[in-house]
Formats: sequence, C-alpha cells, structure tokens
Amino acid sequence: KVTGATDGQGLPGVTITVPGTNAGTSTDANGVYKLALPATARTLNFSFIGYEAQSVTIGSKEVINISLQSTSKGLGEVVVVGYGVQTRRDVTGTIASLKGADIKNLPVSDAAQAMQGRVTGVDIVRSDGKPGSTPSIRIRGTGTINNSEPLVIIDGVPASGLSDINPNDIASMEVLKDASSSAIYGTRAANGVIIITSKKGNFGEKLRASVNVYKGVSNAIKYIPLLTAPDLAMLKKERYTNDGKQIDPIWNDPYYSTQRTDWQRALFGSGQITNADVSLRGGSNSSNYLFSAGYYNEKGIITNSSFKRYTVRINSEHKLGKRFKIGENLQLTYRQNDGFDAGSIYSSQTGLVFSALRFNPAIPVFNPDGSYGSSKASNELGDINNPVFTAQTTSGWGKTYRMLANVYAELEIAQGLTLRGNFGYDGSIYNQSSFVPKVLDQTRTRDHAELWNRSESNSSELSEIFLTYNKYFKQHHVTFTGGYSQQIAKGYYFRADRWGFTDESPDVRVLDNGNDIHDATGNFNPQNAIASGFVRGFYGFKDKYLLTVTFRVDGSSRFAPDRRWGYFPAFSAGWRISDEAFFKDNVKFVSNLKVTGGWGQLGNQNVRDFQYLSPVTKDRRYNFGESPYVGVWNSRLANPNITWEKAEMTNISLEAGFFENRLSTVITWFNKNTKDMLVPAAAMDLHGTSAIPDQNIGQLNNKGWEVEVSYQGGNDKFRYNLSANASFIKNTVTRLYEAGSYISSTNYGRQNQEISRTYEGQPLASFYGWKTNGIYQTQQEIDNDPNIAKDPNRENIKPGDVRFLDINGDGVVNDLDRTNLGDPNPRVVYGFQAGAQYKGFDLSLSFAGVGGVKLYNADKMQGMDPTYPYNMYAEALQRWHGPGTSNSVPRMSLSSDNSNNRTSDRFVEKGDYLSLRNIALGYTIPAKVWGRTGISDLRVYVAAQNLFFLTSYSGLTPQLGYNDATQDGNKQRGVDVAAYPQARTFTFGATLNF
Amino acid sequence: CKSVLDVQPQGNFTSDNYWRNQDQAVDGITGIYNILLEEDFTGFNEFVFDNCSDDQVRGGDHDYDDAIEAFTYDASTPTVRAGWRWKYEMINRANTALINIPKISNIDAAIKKRCLGEAHFLRAYAYWRLLLVYGEVPIITEDDVIKVNYNKPKVSADELRKQIEADLLLAADELQETNGDTDKGRASKGTAWGLLCKLYMEWGQLDKAIAVGNKVITNANYALAPKYADNFSVATGNNSEMLFAVQTLDGYGYSDFVTYHAPRKWNGWSFFYPTKGLVDEFETGDPRKDICIMAPGDKVNVGTSIETVTADLSWSGYHYKKFCAWKPSGGLNYSLKTPLMRSADIYLLVAEAKIRLNGPGAGDAEIQAIRTRASALLPAVHNAGMKELMHERRVELCGENERQQDLLRWDKAKLIDIVAINNQPKLAYDGTVMSRGGSPRKFMRPKHYYFPMPQQEVDKSKGILVQNPNY
Repeated sequence: KVTGATDGQGLPGVTITVPGTNAGTSTDANGVYKLALPATARTLNFSFIGYEAQSVTIGSKEVINISLQSTSKGLGEVVVVGYGVQTRRDVTGTIASLKGADIKNLPVSDAAQAMQGRVTGVDIVRSDGKPGSTPSIRIRGTGTINNSEPLVIIDGVPASGLSDINPNDIASMEVLKDASSSAIYGTRAANGVIIITSKKGNFGEKLRASVNVYKGVSNAIKYIPLLTAPDLAMLKKERYTNDGKQIDPIWNDPYYSTQRTDWQRALFGSGQITNADVSLRGGSNSSNYLFSAGYYNEKGIITNSSFKRYTVRINSEHKLGKRFKIGENLQLTYRQNDGFDAGSIYSSQTGLVFSALRFNPAIPVFNPDGSYGSSKASNELGDINNPVFTAQTTSGWGKTYRMLANVYAELEIAQGLTLRGNFGYDGSIYNQSSFVPKVLDQTRTRDHAELWNRSESNSSELSEIFLTYNKYFKQHHVTFTGGYSQQIAKGYYFRADRWGFTDESPDVRVLDNGNDIHDATGNFNPQNAIASGFVRGFYGFKDKYLLTVTFRVDGSSRFAPDRRWGYFPAFSAGWRISDEAFFKDNVKFVSNLKVTGGWGQLGNQNVRDFQYLSPVTKDRRYNFGESPYVGVWNSRLANPNITWEKAEMTNISLEAGFFENRLSTVITWFNKNTKDMLVPAAAMDLHGTSAIPDQNIGQLNNKGWEVEVSYQGGNDKFRYNLSANASFIKNTVTRLYEAGSYISSTNYGRQNQEISRTYEGQPLASFYGWKTNGIYQTQQEIDNDPNIAKDPNRENIKPGDVRFLDINGDGVVNDLDRTNLGDPNPRVVYGFQAGAQYKGFDLSLSFAGVGGVKLYNADKMQGMDPTYPYNMYAEALQRWHGPGTSNSVPRMSLSSDNSNNRTSDRFVEKGDYLSLRNIALGYTIPAKVWGRTGISDLRVYVAAQNLFFLTSYSGLTPQLGYNDATQDGNKQRGVDVAAYPQARTFTFGATLNF
Repeated sequence: CKSVLDVQPQGNFTSDNYWRNQDQAVDGITGIYNILLEEDFTGFNEFVFDNCSDDQVRGGDHDYDDAIEAFTYDASTPTVRAGWRWKYEMINRANTALINIPKISNIDAAIKKRCLGEAHFLRAYAYWRLLLVYGEVPIITEDDVIKVNYNKPKVSADELRKQIEADLLLAADELQETNGDTDKGRASKGTAWGLLCKLYMEWGQLDKAIAVGNKVITNANYALAPKYADNFSVATGNNSEMLFAVQTLDGYGYSDFVTYHAPRKWNGWSFFYPTKGLVDEFETGDPRKDICIMAPGDKVNVGTSIETVTADLSWSGYHYKKFCAWKPSGGLNYSLKTPLMRSADIYLLVAEAKIRLNGPGAGDAEIQAIRTRASALLPAVHNAGMKELMHERRVELCGENERQQDLLRWDKAKLIDIVAINNQPKLAYDGTVMSRGGSPRKFMRPKHYYFPMPQQEVDKSKGILVQNPNY
C-alpha cells in the first residue's frame, strides 16, 4: 500500500515501475497495488505528481508499504517540462508549478485568473471585468512591445490561452520562466511557456466519481462619486459666469436641477455565477480513462452581459503489448458570450460605462410616458445616449465551438529509450451576431436597425515525433530528447450585415428579415506554418553536478523567405551543495541547497503574418451618383526584411530547504534582453492611415529578482501552510530608432489626448504630459510666475487656472515641457497564501498585489473637464472659486485657453493595491458518516472573490490592464478608460466524492 | 521543411499582384474618393475652420473648438490635428495610383487617362486644403512612396502652389469633360479648371484665374443649375453646376456632414449656426435666404411631420437649411450631396479678378448671371465693385466653407481689414452678442492666416518638420 506521509491515507494512482523491465502498475483508489515481479526485478520505483518519487529495494519482501512525502517543494516531485518530465532535483532551469488542487473551484472563467498572486514572476493583468474576458499573462515582465503572451500548451498542444479549459480539469500548471527550460519551444517561448496537464485516470484504478457545484452572486465593488443634478447645474452656471458669458437657459430650468438618476447604479446591477461539473476516472491494467463534463455560467453586473461554457474532456491511455502505448486527450468546449458589442465598451464616444459616468443625472431612466430618457433637449446635455437604453436594446452573442485533441503513440524501443509521435488538432468555429436598433429618440440616432453576423473557422494541425532516452551509468545520469515538430494553421471567415428591420423583436433578429444587404465580406484568416527541430541533453554526475543543453531550429512562414529561420541555443547548470559531504555533515538544519544558472536565446514570431508584403484591401466604398463602387487601398506598407525577435536571458537561482524542507525558499535573479524587437517604423502621419510594418530595431530589457518562501507546519490534527512570493522587475526600452525617439500610442477622449509614450531609455508605455504645481490663486501669481514669464499665452491665463511647469526653462509652457509622468509597469508583483486544516475544517486565503505602479486616470480627465457638456466627478465641487479655495481643482470655465485638463500629473495616481482575491472556508464530512452509501466524502464551503482592494486609487478598480479596444498592445497600460468594472463575488458550494 | 513553410497570402491582393487590369485601376481611384467621406475631412473637420469667419458660430458640444473662433488655438488643439492625416492619406492613395496605373496595359486608353486625371486632381485637392489650412507642408511624391520616405521637411507655400498647379494642369488635360450617370461625381475637366481658378485667385494671379475660370463659365457642361435650390436637394444635387461634391448615398456612402448641420431636435448634432450678420446680408426678397437659412418661426418638413423652428434650437436662432434633408420614413437623408465646388463660385471669382484688374463694372456679367439665376426680381447690378462682389459671394456661397478664405484673400490683397471683421462679436437673431462665439475674438495678422501644424507630427519628425512661424 502507498500512503501519503502526512495523513496516512492511501494514495490512488501512484505509478509503480520496475527499472529494467516492462513491469509496472499503479495503485487503486485505496492506495493498494499488486504486481507480479519478473525474476530480474531488484527495485521498485514509486512516482506520483506532487509527491517525492521513491525507490525501494525489493529484497525478499512480499509486501512493500511505503509513504510518499507530499510537498510542493519536494525534490523528488515530478515536474512537466517541454516534451517530457523531470524530477525536481534534476531541474536546472526555473520552473514554477501550481497544482490543480490549489485553484479548484475558484469562481473564475479563465484559469489564468486563478494564477494571480500564486506564481512567482507571473503577472496576471485583467483589463476589465466583463464575464468571460481573458486576462493578459506576463511572465518576467513585458518582454516585447508586441504580443507578449506566453505560449500555452495543453496536454502537448499549443492552445493559445486558458479560456477553454475547465479549471477543475487541471492537474498541474507548470510555468517555464527561464531560457533554459523554455528553449525547447524556441520559436514561441520568448514570453515564457505555461504547460497545462489535465487530470487523468490511472491503470488499475477503481472507478471514482466526483461532483462539484457552486453558486454565487456578484456586485459592483465601487462607485465613483459624481455630481448630483443641483450641484451640476450650479457648476455649469458658474462656468458661464466665470467666462462672462450668457448662462444657457437650460441651467435655470428647475427640471435640470432635480436629481433623478444615479446612472452608475442604474447600469450596474448584481450578477450571478453558477458552476457544476462531474468527473469519472478509473482504469484496468491495460487502459485508463477520465471523463469529465462541466458547466459554468456567469452573469455580469451590467444588464444582458453573460458568459457560459460547457466543457467535456476525455483522456485515456492504453497499453498494447509490453512496449506500445496509445492514448488521447480530447477537450471539447462550447463557449458563449452574450451582451452588447464588446469592442465599443471603452469608447469615449459611446462606451457604456463612459456614458453612465457622464450622463446628466436630472434625466430619468424612463420618462413618465415609458420612453427612455434622453439628452436630446439641448447641446448642453452632450451627445451621449442613455446607457440603460443602450444596454437594454442592443444585443449580441458570440459562440465558440472548439475541439483541442491530441492523439499519441509511444514505443519503448529499448530500456530508457522511447519514441513518441503526437498528432494534435485544434479546431474552432466561431459565430457572432450583433444587433443595434433603430434609434430616433436619443442624441446619437440611427435611422435603421443593423444586424451583423460573422462566422469564422480556424484550425491548426500539429505533427511531432521525438525520441527520449534516460539512463544511469553508475554515477552518470544522461537524458536526451530530440525531435521534429511542425504546425500549420488555417482559417476562413465571412461576415454579412443587413440594415433596416420592420420588426426588431429578439426572436426575428436574423439576416433574412433585414431590408438591404449592406455588406458582405469574407476571406481566409491569416495562415501560417512553423517547422522546428529540437534537441535537449541532460547530464548529471553523482546527482550533484547537473548540466542541461538545449537547441532548437525554427522556421516561420511569417517572415520573408530568406529571413525565416531562427536558431535558439540554451545552457544551464546546477550544483546541489547540500549533497556534498562537507555540507551534509556540517549543516544539519539545511535539508536542501542548490545553485543553478543558465543562459539562452528564445524567439518570438507572434506578429502579423506577411508583413513583408503590402496588402491591397478592397473595402473602401464610394458611390458615383447612385452607383455603388468599392475601392481599394494599401492597408499596410511592406517591410521585406522582417524577421524574428530574439530574447536573451540569463538567470541565477538559489534554492534552499530547511528543517526537512518544511521551510523552503527560492531566490532568482534574471536579466532578459529582447533584441531585434519589432517596432513600427517612423510613424509620421505623412504616410496617411496605412498600418506601418514593423522593423527589427528595438531592444528591451527586463531584469529583476524573484523570491518565494513557504512553510508547512502543524501536526496530525492541525495543519497549516503559508507561502509568499514576490517578483521585482525593472523594464527599460534600451533602444528604438535613435536617441530621443519614441513610439506613440492611441489617444483618448473627445479631444484625442495623448497619454502614453514609449521612449528609448524609459519603461514601456510611460505616461507623458505636463507637470503641475497647484492652482494660480491671484493675478499677481500669474504675473510673477517664471514658468510663463515669456509665454504669449500668459494673458489668457486667469486665477483659478492650473500652474503648469516650464520644464525646459524657456519661460514658456508649451509642448516642449512635456515629460515622463510615471511608469505603469509594477515594480513588484506579489502574493501570499495561507491555508489551515483542523478536524475537517479548512480555510484558505489568497492575496495578490502590486506595488510601485502608476495609473493614469483618463476617465477622471474627462470627468473633471468643465468644457465638456457632461456630468462631472463630485470632486469638481472642490474647484477653485476665489483665492485660497482650492489648490488642486481649477476654476469652472468653458475656455480651453490654459487647457487645464490637458494630460498632466493631476491625473496620475499611485496604483499600488493589495487584494484579497479569494477566501474560502470549508468543512468536509468524512467517509465514515456516509456508511455504505458509496460516498467517500462531502465538502461544503463558502467563499468570496475580490473581497477587497486596499488601494489609494480613486477609480473603479486599480487593476487596469491594456486598452483592448485600441488594439494598442503593450504601448498603453494602466490607463483608466472606464472599462467594465470588476465585481465582488460570494459563492457557496459543495464537492461530493464517490 | 520548405514546403511546410511555403504559405502564400491566399485571398489577399498585395502590391505584388494587384494593378493588373482596368477594374483594378478604377477600384484604386474609387479608394481615393472614399476619403472624402471621412468625418475628419469633408464630413466635418474642414468646415470647422470656417468658424473663424463672421458667418457662423460653433454649435454642438465641442467646447474646446472655442479656441478656433477665439483664435487661441495652438499646435495641440485637437481640431488642428484631426484632418492632417486624411489629406496625406488622399495624397498617398493618389501616389500609389500614379505609380501603378501607367504600367497597366490591359486597360481602355480613355479609362486609363481618366483614372490618371482623377488621381492628379485628388492629389491636388488634398494639397489645396493643406495649403489653405497650414500654408507650408511637406510634399510626398511618388518617389517618396517607393522609397518609403515619409519624414520630409515642409516646402514654401509657393512650391506647394506649383505642385498643385502642375497636377491640375495634367488633370485638366486627362479628365473627361462630362461623366455618365454611373460616373456622376467624378472629377471632370471643369473640376480641374475650377480648382485651378481658385488656386490662381489665392496666388494673386488674376489673369490666369480669368483665363481658366472662363473655361468653366463659358462651357455649357458646367452651366448654372436652373434654380439655386437645385444644388441643395437630394434629387438634383448632381447637376451641371456641381463641379465637385461628396457623393453620399443613404445606406451606402456615408458622411456625417448632414448630421453635423441638422438641428439636434431633428436627428442632427447642431454644430454650425449662421450669425445675424450673415442672415442680414441677404437682400429683401432674395429667395436664397429661405433656401439657405432656417430661422425662428420657419416651417420645416422633417420627413415625418412639419415642424416649426424655435429660437432655442440654436445659439443664434439659425441653422443652415441648405445642408439638411430628411426622409419621409424618418431620420436624416444621407443622399444629400456635400457641395465642395460650384460653378457659381467660379463665376464670382472671375468677376472678382476682372474687377480687381479692370475696375468696377468689369465683372457685372458674371455677377448678374448669379443674381438672375437666384431670382429675376433681384435688382440688376451696374458698375459693381468689390463691395457688391463681396456681398454676392457671401450670400451665394454661405456655409460652403468659403467665407474665411475670401476674407483672408481680400485682407492679403489689402481690400479689407480682416482683424476688424474677425474680431467683431457674433450676434444672435435678436441682436444679442453670442458670448459663446469665441468672444473675445483675437485675430492677429499674420499669425492667424494659417494654423500651426499638429504638434505630434512636429515631435515625431525629430526636427525635420519645422513649425509654422508665430506658433
């Protein structure tokens, strides 16, 4: 029998092998195993993911009971590496592991969200709280200005993200962070690799079933204090009075001084979350299987927005004879997003949250006659539509059907020598529909309803064959992995829309019922192919001196034919000091001490296809008279020399365990240089509106430290664990075109304000604008201010205006005085976890936080600007209205003479936060209570997600990411554009095991 | 391995395999015209600049555009930047066409010639607008496109004018005199001559303006429409007089132009309000007033009903009725073409040039033609001087983005004092000062002859693009 060392319970599914033979088995549900031994058998090897492997000499024993050490830091723990597994003690790179059990039943739609705060060096950035939205994953900082998402491999198949897997199906997640461990995926590994291994059945395991159910409710975490109607009318009037202009009569109309609607509360309601899944697993001596089915449904806090997912998984493996194994991993997913057009949510013209923060509070949601309230009465009310109207009348859905499958065969050619072939297929079909109604009673009208449908299918085929060899020659341990891999991706889409619907009811929103076919387009999706050869060798001497060498050759169709191939080498070495006699004998309390270090080169090809050509796109309409034509344009310029981005990484790591590894720590220093970074070439508007092809001229550096510490303590009755991790990263763009050059990013707001620039010598996407020093209190202060001593605009500046600083000292405040206003990339990303078990009760907490980060509150920049015809932040009441009344909020004025609300440090805020991402309290009713019902145990629990954010940031959420709507990638980060806010969720649930 | 990576950009044309036949050439030209629909070009942003004039006041809700009419704008004012790249996009699409179309052999010679003419004309049109707004800007040539060289210093206004002149002369040669029904709205010889006439007037070359202007006004293909109102109606917008108009079509070619002009109450955004000064300029009995202007008390057919205009629909009480149209089914009618150049403009420019060269009376015939077309009841002109000419231009072309350019041209020729005119407050229908019309107005000569180039462009050029003087 095999038991866990801590609880003495039988361990099911432990693999038992007999070295030098084909004999092997695994334990049943109670941890019991039986094995007929060949005559040559001398030892038994026991291994199980998450536990230390052990070897036991058989001798003459008939019954061998062992207990395995369960420890996530266990040195014998098996970790999944690219194209194989390795014991933790042999690993010379930096690989972080997260067990499925640690993230089980978290109320998240995407397993990446569950990683936040739990994996050292991994920053999970969620840009918005829309149900089903996918967070960005940054491993060791943002490695390139282009796509810096890591490569995600699910059961051997590149899977482009984690959103399709049921998090409860995950057995383990390995994050390959350094060059040495990820170089085997050379081409796509520059941003790190996440390897997901799904749960599997075991040979000889009795059928077991598990059922998980949880349900929860969610609510907005925060609302922005906005002006009420009377205060707003008062300040609107003050604008005109200050400017010596006629007060628009609407502000003397009592109707518009009467508070009617809090638009945030009108838009944000409560959401719901429901999850149910079931899994069955087991196996015979020659086959094992796992089947699971899951259902996840999240209704967002904004009307009509929801996300739903159904998943099915079938994993099985079969032995055919003694040397041949076949198996498959099959993941089927159906995913559905419902709601308004996601792309427009951030818009500073029509965005929903933007509208809720701006819409006049005197306007009712519904007029007495039942129609929606509108801003049509006057230009003074702005050109936005009632956000409740928009949320309730527009509709849309996106449905994805996806199959991620992997079929493999493995032949053991000789002892330790295995040949494996994989064929992976990733196919998806995506259908989308969007409907916007005819609008005549709002300010932004549309004289016809519009319906768009889009259908897209994508597939990629992966073919791999590789050889692995693993053998001990006395004190020498050698492993070798080498093979060939290719992947070909294809796709097709079409889209059509019709305008004009005589009936707009939801049940007749199909293309057939529209009047005119407005547009229909279709084409192949970008197609690309990668072909690669790879080798990895490992050599260990006395298990103390370890060396890993990796080399990968990659070709990518994305680049011009003579620029396609990239070569990616990596080396790493390790020294287990604690195995040295001099150490072992003298330093008893240190149970493990290992130093590793490595260097390697990685590639990134994740840029648009075919940039070496200039596409001619036919989508520019024009009519001559009444005759419609469609014109063409060069939608992008060409760069015939485009090729790989390369990342070069060095890292040194110290791993230590104390007191039988109850206390363990890993400290890592790394330095990652991205070279040949693809950056858009001279982006002068003189080239017009064509997209600019990237050029391999940029360089970027990320360097920093990673620290993790964990402690496991307690006794049989009370057990607890604590762990903490932090990574400190400094990001610098070391080279662009030439000194002083920068990359601009998308402007924001009605006045197209520039917020972020990426300058050579500065961190990516730093904020860029003017610095301020309070408010001019008197005319004398203006007259005497050296900042504007020679400024021709001085005569237009009035007391109550913002004092902008003359950075270059020429006595004039102008565009030359703009400067770096802050870094949106966190200096430290950290998390800590605590867990405790006592008599069937369990409690777990997971915190995540960031520090040393600045945010740009672009929404506040709109919300504090009195030149807009909108509602304002309540903070506007603190405005200057006479000497000494305010030194932070300028006077109310319609004039932009001093551009008080230009991009400046007034809107830069500290973005540090600490959040309690998850807290759960559970109770397990043990097996003995259930008697012969077949139930082995039942756990019930309550949990909360996003219980609080400790932060000084004034916006809706301090967790701001990348502005997806602008497709601006990493050029803009941490800019608050009134995204869909994150919610707080309370859940309760139960897990039942049979 | 090679075969695996041998992936072609299936389904997409590229610069390598496009420009092979006549249809592709025509589509390439259509792509240039398409830019005229842009909101930041003729859809709205070009017309904002006429808020500097005394004819109209900024409506809408872009209070930051106050800077345009108060003359407090600077290089970072959003409006200064908005249209810049669209003009260069037009230039680049035209350059691409001019590089590739000459190489096409599989094409009807007449079509090929017309395509080249359109590309030359549209490139000239973009530079013309750049000239009027910024004065001095970089010229991007075909060679620059081939060499991907887009960071260039600006040229002098005269060099820019020469570039425009050269293109227009080529266009006038290559374009057709008239276009058939399925090609309405394409540039014609008259379009090129008309713009050439405007260029020579701006340039102060009055002789040349008369010579080329006469080619338009003596050609029956470009005759004035029978009725003034024909130019501003969905059914008759494309007539002989309409030398150049944005070809919108409800449900197809969409421009925001009508939305920006129509009153907010009736589906528009109410951005341009005529001033009392303009409305008072109309003589009693001039029917053009009711065609152009919507005033308090007027009845307007908004498609689904007849409504009465009230003073509170606009700061001045007025809207431009000539740029509004509604559908009987409700909503604005986007088939109303946006007029960019009419023969009437050329008549009056020829008259102006003649008066300025030969004295009062020299332009009577051209002015009379315009007045007679407006109404037989208007008093005939005799011995008209610049005063009469200025009056006629102001009412005939009101709202068509000509007024401030006229004032600038006359000021530069020392015929008027633009500072006095532009600095007067703008009045509402009841005679009150519209304090929101950029008051106080501070036109400074010569600074406000031109706008500054967008600051972001100057920044990105790293010293190559030198800002206009005075900014």
